[in-house]
Amino acid sequence: MGASKGQKLSGMQKQVLSLYRGFLRAARSKPAEDRRQIESIVSAEFRQNSKQVDRKNFLYIEYLLRRGKKQLDQLKSPDTIGLSSVNVSSSKKQNADT
Amino acid sequence: MALRAAVLRHIRLPVQTLPAAGSRPQSQLSFLRLFSSHDDHLTKEEVIDRVLDVVKSFPKVDPSQVTPDVHFQNDLGLDSLDNVEIVMALEEEFKLEIPDKEADKIDSCNLAIEYIYNHPLAG
Repeated sequence: MGASKGQKLSGMQKQVLSLYRGFLRAARSKPAEDRRQIESIVSAEFRQNSKQVDRKNFLYIEYLLRRGKKQLDQLKSPDTIGLSSVNVSSSKKQNADT
Repeated sequence: MALRAAVLRHIRLPVQTLPAAGSRPQSQLSFLRLFSSHDDHLTKEEVIDRVLDVVKSFPKVDPSQVTPDVHFQNDLGLDSLDNVEIVMALEEEFKLEIPDKEADKIDSCNLAIEYIYNHPLAG
């Protein structure tokens, strides 16, 4: 999401910002410490995507938006107090012989 | 609805005649609410001061760069995500909820000050 001088936001950019805002709003309703953690994870993820994802890769961005909305819905549930991100690296699995 | 009507039918509030002006005890004054939006509205100076404070306290901002007409992205080097965060910090400072459509337009101290000053509920 490169800083655009003269701020003409595309429809897609507006959706991304709206989702970001949604996460920050949802974080407000959580306890203080969880709120900080949520903000930190969400902020890092959005920024990383903004650097790594090609602006023209509409398909992928739309996928991320859909996924984000689902995650946000889960976050809004009062039962959810936080989120964490896991880095999955591929490793060879051993298949147990029966 | 039926319950409400039934309750209303049975409740009677005592009607008090207020004493003549001059001898009004504090407790009765509290029921006399003047519905003017201007008596507790913020002054422009107060709005400017508090907006600048919020922007200056934003971790990614250099406070010495902050002036009332500074642009968040062009002058302070923030990105659009930071913009969202600043507007939300302003929401909390002034106890407002700013709809997305308006929030997307606020990208400078000027616009923030204008919006908040003109908002009837800014507190």
